[in-house]
Amino acid sequence: MVIVNAAGLTTRELNGRLKELAASGQEITVLNPHVGHNIAVGIFESCRIQITGSVGYYAASLLDGPEVAIDGNAGWALGENMMAGKITLTKDAGASVGSTMRGGELFVGGNAGARAGISMKGGTLIVGGNAGFLTGFMMQKGRIIVCGDVGEAVGDSMYEGAIYVGGEIGSLGTDAKTEEIGEDELLDILATLESHGIKQRYTFTKVVSAKKLYHFDSLERLEKTVI
Amino acid sequence: MVMGSSQLWPPWVMEDIHAKSELGRYRIRGFSTFQKVTHFDDLTFLSTGLTRFPLEGYKERCNTRTVIGARYAENPLVLDTPIYISGMSYGALSANAKTALGKGAAMVGSASCTGDGGQLPSEREAADKLIYQVLPSRYGFNPHHLDQAQAIEIVVGQGAKPGTGGLLMGVKVLDDIADMRDLPQGIDQRSPARHPDWLGPDDLAVKIEQLREATDWRIPVHVKLGACRVGDDVKLAAKAGADAIVIDSMVAGTGASAEVLIEHSGIPTVPAIVMAREALRELGLYGKVTLIASGGIRNGADAAKALALGADAVAIGTAGLIALNCNKEITESDFESEVGVPAGFCHHCHTGKCPVGIATQNPELTKRLDPDEAAERVANFLNSMTMEMALLTRSLGKSDVHSLEPEDLAALTIEASAMARVPLVGTNKVY
Repeated sequence: MVIVNAAGLTTRELNGRLKELAASGQEITVLNPHVGHNIAVGIFESCRIQITGSVGYYAASLLDGPEVAIDGNAGWALGENMMAGKITLTKDAGASVGSTMRGGELFVGGNAGARAGISMKGGTLIVGGNAGFLTGFMMQKGRIIVCGDVGEAVGDSMYEGAIYVGGEIGSLGTDAKTEEIGEDELLDILATLESHGIKQRYTFTKVVSAKKLYHFDSLERLEKTVI
Repeated sequence: MVMGSSQLWPPWVMEDIHAKSELGRYRIRGFSTFQKVTHFDDLTFLSTGLTRFPLEGYKERCNTRTVIGARYAENPLVLDTPIYISGMSYGALSANAKTALGKGAAMVGSASCTGDGGQLPSEREAADKLIYQVLPSRYGFNPHHLDQAQAIEIVVGQGAKPGTGGLLMGVKVLDDIADMRDLPQGIDQRSPARHPDWLGPDDLAVKIEQLREATDWRIPVHVKLGACRVGDDVKLAAKAGADAIVIDSMVAGTGASAEVLIEHSGIPTVPAIVMAREALRELGLYGKVTLIASGGIRNGADAAKALALGADAVAIGTAGLIALNCNKEITESDFESEVGVPAGFCHHCHTGKCPVGIATQNPELTKRLDPDEAAERVANFLNSMTMEMALLTRSLGKSDVHSLEPEDLAALTIEASAMARVPLVGTNKVY
C-alpha cells in the first residue's frame, strides 16, 4: 500500500500521482484531502483508493473501474458519470451524488443532498440516510435505494429505472408513480444493503415512471408516420 | 370586390392558428429562424484604394491557420482554417451525414463536433480533430471518449433554442440511437435544459477543472452559449476558466425545436460578436480567450466579417448540411411528395423524412447520402469559404485573416451600424 499525503499538493499533482499509482496496480491511501475539489478524477484502472478525510466537488468522478472508499463527507457530484467500479462514503454527500452514473455501485452512509441520482443511466446508488428533493430527476436507468426519507418531487420526469424509499416520501414528481415491489426484488435490495452492513429490514416503497410523458399527446400530419 | 393581405394576419399566421387549434401544443420544426434580422449582408468591406495597397488576390500568401484554446491547454486545437463544423447529434443526423462531416473537415485540416447523443464511432474514425460536447443530458457520455478528444465543449445553450434542451422526436429515437442515449425506444426525447452536476458559474469553474483533470490539462475546454445576455455570460464563462467561448446566435440552426423558441429568443450574430468582444476586452482577456461565432455563417464573406468584428473562428452547421445536399433535389428524392414542400423550402428535419438522407434514421433514406461523396462536397465547401476569406483579406491589403478588424467594415443600415459599432456608409458616424 502506498500513502499519498495530499497536503501541499495541487489538484493536478495529486491526480497525476493517483493515476500513476493506479496504473501500476498499487493500493493507495490518500491522507489530508482537505475537502479539495476534483480528487481522484478520470481513473480507468481497477485499483483500490482509500481517502481519509472529507472531499469537495466531483470526488471520484468520471471513473471506470476503481474501488474508492472515502472516510468523511463529500461535496456535490460525488461519483459523477462513473462507468464501473465502487464508491463508498461513510458520511454525507452534497447535491447531485451519482449524477449521470452509468454503472457500478455508489454507497453513501449518511444523507444525500438534492438531485441524488439525477439523469442516472445505470448502476446502483444507495443512501443509508435521507435524500433531498428531486431524487432521481430525469433518471433513465439503474436503481436508487434510499433507506430514509426523500424530499419533494422524487422521480420527477424519470424514464426507466427504479427508486426504492425506506422512509417517507415528500411528494412524487411529475410522471412518477408507486408500484408494488416484488419479493425477489426486495430480497436483492436487502442483500445489497447487508453488504454495506445495514441489517434493518426496511419496508420499501418503489417509485417508477408512469410513462405518460414519453410522447407528445398530439402530432402534426408529417410527424405521424412512423418509419 | 376587396382583396388583400393583412399585415397582422397574413395566410401563414392564420395557418399557424389553424394548426395549433387542432394540435393543442406548440409547433415543432427544424432549420432556423424565418425572421429578418440584421446580419452580415448589412455590412461591407472597405477594400484598398490609395490609402493602402492590396495583396495579389489569387497568389500571395494569406494565413488562415487558427489556434483555438491556448489559454490553459497544453495542446490547443490547431486548424488550417478558421471554419469548423459545429455540434450536431447522431440522431438528429444520420450516421452517413455525421461521418461525412467528420471526414470532410479532416480533408481540409479542420474539426467537427459530436452533439447531443454521444460519439458516433465512424465520425471519430473519420475526423482527424473531434470536439467532444458535454451537454446537460450527458447522453452517451463516456470518459474514454473525452480522453480521445481534441477539445471539449461544455454546452450551456444553443442559439436556436437558448434556455432549453435538445429535442428529438420518437421517429428518430430508435435502435442504436436509443441505446447510446440509454432511452426507451421511440420516445419523444426532450433533453434537460440544466446540467445535472453544476448550476451557476462558480460551479462551472469546478466543472471545467474536473474536465481538465480528467484529460491531464492537454486539450482546450470551450463553453458554448446561446446568445442572449452576451456580455455577462461571456464574462462569467471566461472567469470560470474557459479556453474558448462559442457564441451561438438566434439565427443558428436546429434539427428540432419548438418554433416559438426559434423565432422569439436570442439575439443575432453581429451584435453577439461585438458584445462578446467587448466583454473579453473589459476583462483584459480579448486575444487570450478564443472567441468563436456561430449562427448563419453561409460563405467566406460572412466568416470574414465575423473575424473582422472580433471572432477568432466560426462554426458552421446549416451551411455544412447544405453542402451535404440539404434542400437539394437529387435523383432519388421528391421533396413535394415526401415532405410537402419543394427543395429549398424544407425545414422538416424533425420528422425524420429527410429526402436526401441527412436528417433521418430511415434506412431507405439514409442510403441516399454517400458519405464519401458527401465528405468531398463538405471539403470543397470549406475550401471555397476559406479561399473567399483569403481573397477578401488580400483585397484589404492583409496577409492574415486574423488581422481583419472592425475598421475594415462599414454598415449599410443604421441598425447594422448600431449593432456592429462601425460607421454607416457615407458617414463617419457609428449609430
